Amino acid sequence: MSVLVSRSDMGEFRKRPRWLALVVVLCFLVLTVRVFYMQAINSDEYRALARENIIRRVTLATTRGVVRDKLGRVLAANRPSYNVYCVPSKLDMKDVWPRLVGYMLMSPLDRDKIQKRIMDLRNDPGPRKDWQILVKEDISRDLVATLATHAAELPGIDVVPTPVRYYPHHELGAHVLGYMAEVDSDALVRLRALGYMEGDRRGSAGVERGWESYLRGTRGWEKVVVDSRSRRHIDPESQTLIDDPKRLDPIPGRDLRLTIDLDIQKAISSAMKGQLAGSTVVVEVRTGRVLGMISKPSYDPNDLSGGNGVASLRAAYRRINSDPLQPSLDKTMSGAYPPGSTIKPFSAIAALREHLIDVKKQVDCRGFYQFGKRMFKCTHVHGPVDLNQAIVRSCNVYFYQLGEAVGLDRLAKVGLDFGFGQKTGLGTNVESPGRMPTRGWYSQHYKGQFRVGFTLNAAIGQGATTVTALQLALSYAALANGGTLYEPQLVHAVETADGTIVQDLSPRVRRRVNVRPEDLTFIAKALWGVVNDDRGTAYKERLADVDAAGKTGTAQVSHQSIGAGDETRIWYFNRDHAWFAAYAPTSSPEIAVIVLIEHGGAGGRHAAPVAFQVMRAYNRLKAERAAKKSAAPASSEPEPPPTRGDP
Amino acid sequence: MTVHADDAGFRARDRFDWPLFISAALIAVIGIVNLYSATSIATNARAELYLNQVYWLVAGGILAVIVASIDYRHIERFAYVLYIVGVVLLVLVLILARDIKGAARWIPIGSFSFQPSEFMKLFLTIALAKYLHDDPKNEGRALRDLAVPALLTLLPVMLVLRQPDLGTALILTLIFVSIAALTRIKWKSLLTLGITGLIATPLIWNYVLKDYQRMRITSFLNPEADIRGAGWHAHHARIAIGNGGLFGQGYMKGTQNQYKFIPENHTDFPFPVFAEDWGFVGSLVLFGLYAFLILWAIRIASQAKNRFGAVLAVGVGAMLFWHSFFNLGMVVGILPVVGVTLPLFSYGGSSVVTILIGLGLLMNVSMRRYSFAAADGRLARL
Repeated sequence: MSVLVSRSDMGEFRKRPRWLALVVVLCFLVLTVRVFYMQAINSDEYRALARENIIRRVTLATTRGVVRDKLGRVLAANRPSYNVYCVPSKLDMKDVWPRLVGYMLMSPLDRDKIQKRIMDLRNDPGPRKDWQILVKEDISRDLVATLATHAAELPGIDVVPTPVRYYPHHELGAHVLGYMAEVDSDALVRLRALGYMEGDRRGSAGVERGWESYLRGTRGWEKVVVDSRSRRHIDPESQTLIDDPKRLDPIPGRDLRLTIDLDIQKAISSAMKGQLAGSTVVVEVRTGRVLGMISKPSYDPNDLSGGNGVASLRAAYRRINSDPLQPSLDKTMSGAYPPGSTIKPFSAIAALREHLIDVKKQVDCRGFYQFGKRMFKCTHVHGPVDLNQAIVRSCNVYFYQLGEAVGLDRLAKVGLDFGFGQKTGLGTNVESPGRMPTRGWYSQHYKGQFRVGFTLNAAIGQGATTVTALQLALSYAALANGGTLYEPQLVHAVETADGTIVQDLSPRVRRRVNVRPEDLTFIAKALWGVVNDDRGTAYKERLADVDAAGKTGTAQVSHQSIGAGDETRIWYFNRDHAWFAAYAPTSSPEIAVIVLIEHGGAGGRHAAPVAFQVMRAYNRLKAERAAKKSAAPASSEPEPPPTRGDP
Repeated sequence: MTVHADDAGFRARDRFDWPLFISAALIAVIGIVNLYSATSIATNARAELYLNQVYWLVAGGILAVIVASIDYRHIERFAYVLYIVGVVLLVLVLILARDIKGAARWIPIGSFSFQPSEFMKLFLTIALAKYLHDDPKNEGRALRDLAVPALLTLLPVMLVLRQPDLGTALILTLIFVSIAALTRIKWKSLLTLGITGLIATPLIWNYVLKDYQRMRITSFLNPEADIRGAGWHAHHARIAIGNGGLFGQGYMKGTQNQYKFIPENHTDFPFPVFAEDWGFVGSLVLFGLYAFLILWAIRIASQAKNRFGAVLAVGVGAMLFWHSFFNLGMVVGILPVVGVTLPLFSYGGSSVVTILIGLGLLMNVSMRRYSFAAADGRLARL
C-alpha cells in the first residue's frame, strides 16, 4: 500500500482499502462459520429433512374379503371401478380434450362443467394445476378399452382402477350382506386409531358391518421416491435412496363362508314375489344356522357402496329413505312385531309346565270372552275346544282363559326362556330385543292399576308383546328340537383368500329350555294339526308334498288414521300382519321357517303359502344335492357311496 | 524499469493479471459444471441451458478483453455519457419491457432480451469514479460533498425500484456506499447519515417496498411461519446445503436438487446445488475463490494509478462482493431472500456479461498500475 503514500490526490483513499478488506474477510468468515454449522455440525438434521422430502410412504391398499354362501357361491366381492382423471396443466385443450369428450360421449352440460374447472385450475398460480382431478367415475368396460387403445393420443389423461364392493345378486339378501359406506368425519375421529383413513369405506350393515374387522384386512405401505411435485420416480438410481424397511405387505381381509344358502334365498324371494313387505327366516333346527334371511322390500347394495358417483349414491339413499315400506329396515331382526297367535304354543307350555290346566278340559267358545266390562273377541265361534283344538284352530277364547289362569309373569317367563325379549346376538344389523311384558313392566309404563286384560292379550300375542322373526325362528327350532335354544349362526367359517379355513365356527347352544318332553310332544301334535287337520288354520294352504307343522298368526295393528292421506295407503297400513311359524319335516325336523307378511292380512292365507313354498324348495334342493353327491363319488370311486338310511 | 506513458498499451500486456484471471476463470468453470448439475435433472429438459451460459461466457469474455485493452482514461472521458445511456435504457425498460414474473426488467432485442439494470451497476460505478476523480477532498468530506454521487445513485435506484427490482436497487445502493466508504467522510457527517437511515427505514418499508418484498423480509425474520409460501424456497435451499454434509452427496447426486426441491436452482439458488453436491469442502473452496477475487480487486484499487482507477476497482469489487455476499447469505439463511445473482454461477446472460465486463475493467486498472503518472509511480516502487 506504500504505493499511495506519495501520491497527493490519492491521499483521501489511503487507509480505506484495509478496512474494506477487513469487512470482506469478516463477512466471508461469517458465511463460513454458518455453512460449517449447517454442513458439519447440524447436517444430520438437514439430511433427515431432505430424506423426508423425497421418501414418502404410500399406503398399499388391501383387498376386502369375499363373502360366499354355504356352498361357496360369491355373495359379495370386489370389482375394479375405473375412474378417469386428468391433470389440468398437462392437458392439451385444443386437441386432446375434445377427443376425450368424443370418446366419452360426454353431454355438453358435463363437458362445460368440467372444462370450466380445468380452465380455472390452469389459471391457478399454485401447484393445484398439477394435481389430478376426476373427470368421471366408474366408466364402462367398453370405454376403458377405448381409452386404453388411444392412451398414446391422450397425454394427461389417466384411467385409474379402484376397488369397489360388488354384490352379484343385487337385491337378493341385501339385509344379510349389508353394504359399504364412506367413513364420515365424526366417526373417523374414533376410527383413526384402527387405521381408517379419509375416504375409506366400511361395512355399514349386515355381515359387512358385523364382520368388518375380519373382512377389511390390513393396509400395507411402501416407500417411494417423489420429487417436489409429488411425482414418483421409479428409475433404479432413485430406488437406491430408499432405506430399510422398504415395504410392508398388505394383508388381505378374511373371506367368510356364510351359513346362508343362496338357493334358499332365491326360493324365499320367489315365494314372496307377490308380497310388498315382510320377512322370512329359515334356520336349521339342530344348529341354529341361518339358511335364509330375506327382508322385503329390499335395495341394491351396489347402489349404496359407491363407485357410481356421488349423484347416484345420493339418489339411492333418497329413494330408500323416502319409501314408506322402509327398505332400510331389516324386518328379520331390526323390526319387532306383535307375534299374534304364533305365541300360543309358548302360552300353552307356560300352562302345561305349571300343571295349571287340564289338556282335556274343553272351553266353549262363543266368539268372545266377557271379562269385566270388556269383551275379548275370537276369530270365530269355535264351540267347545280343548287345548289341542285351541291351537289347531287358533281359538282366542281358550287362550284368554288360559292366560287368566297362568298369569302374565309366568307367560313372560316362558317367553324369555325361549329367547323372546332379548337380542339373539346375530351381530349384523341393529337388533330389536322385542318385548315380553311383565307386571313390573306394566307398572313402569302404564299409569293406574294393572289390568288382567293385559294378560289376556299377552296370551294371544297381542298388546305390548313384540317379537322379531329371528327370535321366532329360533324359538320354533327349540320347539322342534326338544327344547334347545341355539344362538343364531350366520358365518360358517373364516377363510383365507386361498380357501384355507382359519376358523371353523360351530353351533352354540344358548340354553336348554326347561320344558318337559311330553309337553313338547303335545305341542308338536297340535302344530301338526294346524297344517294337517282339516280344521287347521293352515290346512287349506298346505302342499301335499310338504310335511310340515306350524302355527299361523294374525297380528292386529294398532289402527292409525294417517290424516287425510291416500285411502289405499290408510287401508294398507291398517291391515293385520300375517305370520306363519313352521318347521319341517314333522318326524325329524330340520328347518324352521318363519314368514312375516307386513300388513298381509290373515296368517293362514297369506303367510303360510310362502313358508310351504320355501319348504318345498328345501326338500327339492336336499334331494338334488344328495343325488349329485351319490353320483359323483360313484363314478370316480369303486366303493359304494355312504347311503343314509332312507325309509 | 523505465516506463513511458505513450507505450502504456504495449507494456500493459506484460502486466497481465494472472491471479485475477485464474480465480475468475475457476469460478466460471465451476459455475458451468454446477449449472449442468442444476439443469440436467432426469425429467427436466433444460439441459441445454448450460451451453447458453458457455456462449455468454465467451461473448462476455470477448467484451472483457476489449474493455481491458482500452486505456481506462478513455473510458473516464465518456463516463457521464455512459451513465446517461444507462438511465435512458432504464426508462426504456419501464416503457417497453415485457412483464415477466411480476416485474418488468428486460428489454427485448430480437429473439433475446437483456437487462439494462445489470449494466447500470457498471455505468454507475464509472460515473461515481469520474465524479470522485475530479473532486479530491483529502481533508475529509462533509455530507454535501457526497450529494452529487448520492443523486447519481438515487436516480437509477428509483428507476429500478419502479420495475420493481429490489435486488438491483440494493446492489446499486451498496456500490455507492462502498465507494463512499473509500472516501474520507467526517465523523459528524457519518452520524447524521446514521440517524437519517434510522428514520428512513420505516418510511421505505411502508411506502417503497411492494407486498411480496415485505413478505420476503418477514419470512426471513420468521421462516417457520410460512414454509409453504415465501419461506419455502429458502427453507429447501437450506436443507440442500445441510444435506451436503462435509464431503457432499457427489456430483449430480444431491437429492434436493435432483428431485426439484430447490426452486430457481439455476438463477437465484445455484449455491445450494453446489453445496449439496460437494459438501463443506466444496463450499470452502468456493468461498475462498470469491473472497480472493474480491480482496484482489481491493488490492488492485489500492495500487491504481489514479483516483478514477481506484474507485472503479472498488466499485467492481463491491459489485462482486455484495452480489456474492447477499446471494450466499440469503441461501444460508443469515440474510433475507433478495433476488441477487451469484457472480459467474447464476444462469443469465446480462448478469454474466456484466460481471465479465466488470472483470475486464479490473484487469484494465490492474494492467495499467505502472503505466501512467510514471514519475510518481517509479518513486513509489523504489
